[in-house]
Amino acid sequence: MSKAKGRRQTHREDTRGLSRRKLLRLGLLSAAAAPLLLRARRVMAQTGGAQPAPSKASGELKNLAEFKAPKVKASGPTTISFWQYVGFHVDAQKFIAEEYKKRHDPNLSLEITAYPGLNEQRVGVKSALAAQSPTPDIIAVEPGAYAVDVSTSGSVLDFTKVFAEDPDYKRGFWPNALELLTINGTIVSVPAVTNTVIVYYNRGLFQQHGLEVPNTLDDLKKVGATLNAKGIMPIAYPAGQDRNFPIFPYYTYLGGIKADKLMREADLGLKPWTSPELVAGAEFVEMMAKSGLYARGPLGIKEPDAIQIFATGKSAMFWGGQWMRRSIRAALPPNFDLGIFPFPAVVAGGHKPVLSSVGITLTVNARSKYPDLAFEMIKALTGAWGKIEYTRNLGLSPNGPISAEAIAYQMQSLKDPLYPEFLKLQPTGTTRVIFTPAVEEAVTQGMQALITGQKTPKAVMESVEAASQKVGTRKFRAG
Amino acid sequence: MLSIAARRRWRRHAAGYAFAGPALVILAAFLLYPIGYSVWLSFHEWEGYTPRWGPFVGLENYRALAGDEVFWRATLNSIVFVVVRTPLEVGLGFLLALLLNRRLVARSLLRTLFFVPVVMSLIVVTIIFQRVFEPNTGLLNTFLRAVGLGAWAHPWLGDPATALPAVIAVSVWKNVGFSLVILLAGLQSLPQDVVEAARVDGANAWQLTLRVITPLMRPILALTALLSIIGGLKVFDLVFIMTRGGPTYSTEVLATLLYREAFELNHMGIASAVAVILVALVLSIARIQTFVLDESREGGKA
Repeated sequence: MSKAKGRRQTHREDTRGLSRRKLLRLGLLSAAAAPLLLRARRVMAQTGGAQPAPSKASGELKNLAEFKAPKVKASGPTTISFWQYVGFHVDAQKFIAEEYKKRHDPNLSLEITAYPGLNEQRVGVKSALAAQSPTPDIIAVEPGAYAVDVSTSGSVLDFTKVFAEDPDYKRGFWPNALELLTINGTIVSVPAVTNTVIVYYNRGLFQQHGLEVPNTLDDLKKVGATLNAKGIMPIAYPAGQDRNFPIFPYYTYLGGIKADKLMREADLGLKPWTSPELVAGAEFVEMMAKSGLYARGPLGIKEPDAIQIFATGKSAMFWGGQWMRRSIRAALPPNFDLGIFPFPAVVAGGHKPVLSSVGITLTVNARSKYPDLAFEMIKALTGAWGKIEYTRNLGLSPNGPISAEAIAYQMQSLKDPLYPEFLKLQPTGTTRVIFTPAVEEAVTQGMQALITGQKTPKAVMESVEAASQKVGTRKFRAG
Repeated sequence: MLSIAARRRWRRHAAGYAFAGPALVILAAFLLYPIGYSVWLSFHEWEGYTPRWGPFVGLENYRALAGDEVFWRATLNSIVFVVVRTPLEVGLGFLLALLLNRRLVARSLLRTLFFVPVVMSLIVVTIIFQRVFEPNTGLLNTFLRAVGLGAWAHPWLGDPATALPAVIAVSVWKNVGFSLVILLAGLQSLPQDVVEAARVDGANAWQLTLRVITPLMRPILALTALLSIIGGLKVFDLVFIMTRGGPTYSTEVLATLLYREAFELNHMGIASAVAVILVALVLSIARIQTFVLDESREGGKA
């Protein structure tokens, strides 16, 4: 275990960590954030949505959700292990585990190992599972290929029994989030949080140049042309970050024409990737790359670079994920007026596509010595009480709907007017997950080829289709 | 019963075996066994999540690699990486060593400065250079624009044409100090009487360097080159952190391909086949190099 402990991270802002300077800025920002709350109503008006707004309760609010007692408790001092890959979640997880210990099971401790990133954790988990190790008891997995791998290899337990015993617990999740984690008809993992991909924008810069939030692609192009004419890059888009990022525009287009179900079927080898809708998605990626809307060389831009470009006013918009909200806030000067909007409708009369997905999800090692205790701990982390505490300081969306009172309680410490806006977007989002590893690889490479102008949209989709056919009949069903 | 001679022989070697034993056990457990395991695994199909290997597939994984465009791209990139990096690293290292072997002002400071990148964390170096190469606010493009060469500003890591050269440049920057130190130590251990004799005979600095010092330095230059070649062939972290082999496989090398096959595509058998090819490549080059070195030594003696 000592080796694992050595890899453990201290609390971090995100996977990249925080410099002292950033921490200082964050502290200053927290102090400056209170007045921003006053502007929350104005921001909400732009995004719409179905989630309740925080109530205007005064005084010290509390988490009123029920923290259910477990059905099973440890018979003596027991430690269960949990391997995850997002350092900045550790404090939230630790807090809930300690409350669980205090309130319900004094014998049970949770040992969290936070790997520096998904790749490192996946390698560690793979080695442990291949060695039939009972450690870790709880495993964090990504939706998509990772969840498929651990479930189809019989390495993890599903939630059928847990949900049958506690239907309320299941009802606490967004159905579309659970759908992403349903492999071969069973739910193999549960989300700790959910998140969206949206466009952050510099409201001050927009106002200065008389620009409105774009509702359609044409609006966006006009905004881009105006900004370019003024020497401001329109969108900082960190397509060089990792394999998921170059696919954002593609997912966006398919979400915008409601073809994400078709993409899922193609992913599972049931439909061809060369259908007109999926090729149109590739054409959209190519069009965006050539439109002058992106900051130069998107494949050479990583998240911190894009944040810097946006924070220094060199670009007016930033296309990124909700998980970057705090990193962005930390980099912004105190007077920066930050707003968000969903990507504009990609076709005339279409809806605004919001890419949403589950973030870190939790499952139980099939060889765990304490599977029941592990499930109880997952229920504590992701259940009605836990989800409010978990997301309270992270600013990521919870794994299911929460009450207006709960949001007000969270806002006491969160103090970020954008948070409720993100909450409204989650249930409407389109998914951004590909389940077949070889297909995901082909799509990633294809999107890079489109952005660099090396291939035509049709050729890209043909190569994705070839990769899909090479995989053959899938050994799993998803959703 | 052992004969007296055998017992004597055993007594004579026992201490040697006792000292070498633990090291041999460690070597066998952590080097030979994994290599053997990889070779065996390369003949199987395995997704890597269960202890049960898939079926024995013979040479199928090697056949699959032979028909895989990405494998050939990665092999070519690995070769380009080595062919470009090694002469730059060793050549620059030698030039700097020659320079720093002279009596210069701040010689010690310069030696330290050139060695600093070697001791810097690779992660730190790659993150710094990602920012240097960033297309919009990166140091390099900002500098080019500032000196009126804005037309040369480029998305260095985002363009398949320039991504590999950019990564090689970082590798050279990081490692040239290592070559420098080895070569400097070599220069300082050269027989001074030979150098002095050449000077007395009227050799100028150029002739001295080319005709006397360089031939004497040949074994050390060969060793430095060998280390650079092996380092270049197995490069992983630098590429993985900077570009993850992209864009469009333009910086994919054998080690990143191995990782991709093993941990992203779950083709452990194919990944093992890549590992076997990589080891074979490194061993062959090392063997050729030592052979050439031995030959040149023999030639020197003759």
